[in-house]
Amino acid sequence: MRILEINNLKKSFDKKTVLEDISMYVDEGEVVSIIGPSGSGKSTLLRCATFLENMDSGELSYCGKKAVTTNDGKAVYLPKKEMREVQTNFGLVFQNFNLFPHYTVLKNITDAPISIQKRDKQEVYDEARKLLEKVGLSDKENAYPCELSGGQQQRVAIARALAMNPKMLFFDEPTSALDPEITAGILRVMKGLAEANMTMVIVTHEIDFARAVSDRVIFMDGGVIVEQGKPSDVIDNPKNERTKSFLKKLSV
Amino acid sequence: MTDNKSKRKISRLLCFMLVFSAVLSIIVQTGTIVSAAEDKKTFTVGFDASFPPYGYKDDNGEYVGFDLDLAQEVCDRNGWKLVKQPIDWDSKDMELNSGSIDCIWNGFTMNGREKLYTWSTPYVDNSQVVIVKKDSDINSLNDLKGKIVAVQADSSALAAFTGDDATDENKALAKSFSDLQQVSDYNSAFMNLESGMVQAICMDIGVANYQISMRENQFRMLDEHVSSEQYGIGFKKGNTELRNTVEETLLAMKQDGKFDEIAKKWQLESSVCLSADDKYLDEQGTDDNTSSKAKLNIWQIATQLGEGMLATLSIFALTLVFSLPLGLLLTFIRMSRFKVVQWIAKIYISIMRGTPLMLQLLVVCYAPYYLFKIDLSNAYRFYAVIIGFSLNYAAYFAEIFRAGIQSIPNGQREAAQVLGYSRTQTFRKIIFPQMVKRILPPVTNEVITLVKDTSLAFALAFTELFTLAKQISSAQASLLPLFVAGLFYYVFNFIVAFVMEKVEKKMDYYR
Repeated sequence: MRILEINNLKKSFDKKTVLEDISMYVDEGEVVSIIGPSGSGKSTLLRCATFLENMDSGELSYCGKKAVTTNDGKAVYLPKKEMREVQTNFGLVFQNFNLFPHYTVLKNITDAPISIQKRDKQEVYDEARKLLEKVGLSDKENAYPCELSGGQQQRVAIARALAMNPKMLFFDEPTSALDPEITAGILRVMKGLAEANMTMVIVTHEIDFARAVSDRVIFMDGGVIVEQGKPSDVIDNPKNERTKSFLKKLSV
Repeated sequence: MTDNKSKRKISRLLCFMLVFSAVLSIIVQTGTIVSAAEDKKTFTVGFDASFPPYGYKDDNGEYVGFDLDLAQEVCDRNGWKLVKQPIDWDSKDMELNSGSIDCIWNGFTMNGREKLYTWSTPYVDNSQVVIVKKDSDINSLNDLKGKIVAVQADSSALAAFTGDDATDENKALAKSFSDLQQVSDYNSAFMNLESGMVQAICMDIGVANYQISMRENQFRMLDEHVSSEQYGIGFKKGNTELRNTVEETLLAMKQDGKFDEIAKKWQLESSVCLSADDKYLDEQGTDDNTSSKAKLNIWQIATQLGEGMLATLSIFALTLVFSLPLGLLLTFIRMSRFKVVQWIAKIYISIMRGTPLMLQLLVVCYAPYYLFKIDLSNAYRFYAVIIGFSLNYAAYFAEIFRAGIQSIPNGQREAAQVLGYSRTQTFRKIIFPQMVKRILPPVTNEVITLVKDTSLAFALAFTELFTLAKQISSAQASLLPLFVAGLFYYVFNFIVAFVMEKVEKKMDYYR
C-alpha cells in the first residue's frame, strides 16, 4: 500500500525557490533515506510533508486520501478537522528532540494519546512502558527531560512518536545534535524499527547507516531529486556527477 | 560587522546622553544653590497651590494670590527674595519643622492651632460655608442630614467638624452627615461635587466666593455658616524673630494703605480684619510644646491604620485578579495575525505606559460624568480605583506575557502540532505552563510596584493606607504614622517577595 505520495511539490521562501517540482512516494514497510548537501531542500521537503510548512503548489496524499490539491497553481489544504485526521498517519522525530520540558518522560509519551486520541489511560500507560523498555529507558519514566542526556531524550522522542501508533515515521536528522557514540545507540533503535517493518523516511547525513537500513535512497541537491534507487546503486555506484562529488566529499 | 558597529554607536550615544543629562542637572542644581547664596536673604513661603484666592496657579502658570502678594510686598520692603514653595498640605508641619519653608502663609486657620505655631496677628476673619450644586435641594445645614460632605484633608473645615476644639453644635452636625469625605484639594472636591459623588463641600468663605465666581455660577452657597475662624501666618514654633519682622512690615503696610489695596485687588476687603494698632500675639504656652491632644502610641496608630491597610490590600488583590487575565487577553490581541487588531493593542499599551497612572485614575473616575453626564455615586470611587489600576497593570502584564510566550522555542509548537494538539490545547498545555515559569521574576517586580502604587488612590480621595497615614500624621503632628505605614508596605512586600520566591522554587523541577 502507498502510504505517502507527493506530486509536483513547489516551495519557495521570499521568491527564492527551495523545492522545485518534487515528486516522490513511500510504500508500506519501506525505509527511505534522503541524503544531500546542506541547503538542498531535504529538511524543507520533510517539513512540507509533515505540514509544518505550507507548500506553494503540488499534491500530497496519505494512504490514498488527498490532503493537498492544487487549484489555479495554488496549493489547497483540506479543512482543519480533516487535516487533523490526515495528521494521525505520521509521526515526526526532530533533530533537537523538542520534548516538553515541564512533563515527565511518561507524560511526554502518554499525554497526546490520552488527551488528543482519547484512548484508554491504562492501555496507553502499558504501551508507553513497553515502548520505554524497547528504547532502553524503563527506569526513566518519572524523570524530566532536563535530567536526561541528549541520546536519552531522542529515544524518548522516538517513543513519543510511536505511542501515537502512526503508519509511518519521519526523522529529521535525528542524530545531528548528538555525539558519535550516542548516535550509534539511536541508530540501533531505528534499525530495530526498520526490522519490525516500520515505514520510515529519514533525512540523514549518516551514509553508512542509510546504506544499511534503507530500501531506497533519495539524493537531493538544489531543490530537486537528482537520483534515487537502491542504496547499492545510489551510494555505491552513483550515476550522476553531483551525487558522485557529494559522496566523495563525505569519504574524506 | 556593520551590525556590531551600529550597535556600538548606539550604546555610545546612549552613554553620552546619560552622562550629558547628569552633568546638566548637576550644573542646574548647583547654579540655583550658588545664585541663592550669592543673592539676598530668601523668604520661603509654603502654600497649597490650589487654594485661590490666597495662593494658586493662574492662567499663565504663575503662582499668585492674596497671600502671595502680601508676602511679596513684605519681602520687597525687607529686601528679601521671595520663594513661593507649593507644598502638600498634609506635610506642612514637616516642611516647616525641617526648615524647608519659613512660614505657612496660605489662608491658614489659627483656631485650634494656637499652640502649634508662632503666629502673626489674624489678618482675615473667615467663616466656613457650605457649597452645593445650583439645582440642589439642600437649603440649610439641617438639609445636610444623611448627605456626603467633602472637606479638604487637614483643613479648617475638617477641624471645625472633628477637631478637638470643634463646637458640640458642629460635632452634632457632622454626625448627621452620612459621610465626611476628605479630599486632597479643592479642585477634586469640586469634581466630586459636580459628578455627584458628594452632595456638598464645606470650605473657607473667601475660597468659596472665588470658586463660585470662577465656576460660572453652577454652584451656590448656603446662607447659614458653619463656624467662624481667623487666618494668620504660621511660623515655626519659637521663631519669634522672623515673625516680628514680618508682623511689623505687615502693620506698616496696613498703615500706608498697601494692605487694603491688595485686599481690594482680591475682593477680600469684607474679610480682612487687620488693624493698624494690632499687636502680635503674646507667645502662648511657649514652654508647652506638646499639643493638648493626647499622643497616640505605636499600637494605637497601627490600629487606626488598620482600615487603610485593608483598603490597600483590597486594591492590591482586586487589581491582580482583574489585570492578570486582562493582560493575557491583551497579549492575544497584541499577537493577533491581523495587523489592524495588533495595532489596537499596541496603541492601548502605548497610552497606558506613556501616561501617569494618577492621570489615568482621574480619567476613569471623572470621565463618566464629564463626558457622558452620568451622575456618580460615592461607591464608584472605589470601583474607579480598581478599574484604573487594572487597566494600567494589564498593559504591563501583557508585554511581560508576550515576552514569555515569544521566548518559548518554536520547536515546542511544532512538536505539539505534529502530535495533533489544537492551537488552544498547545497554548494551554504546552506554552502557558512554560511561560508562567519564565515570567515569574518580571511579574514579581510588577506586583511589588503595585503594592507601593496603591498609594496613588489618594488622587481619587480613596482612603487607603498612605492617605490615612498622612492624615493621622498631620493630626498628631508626628512622623510615627508615616513610619508605621512604611513598615507595613515593607512587610507586605517582603511577604510578596517570599511567596513569589517559593513559587519560583516550586517550578524549579525542570529547566
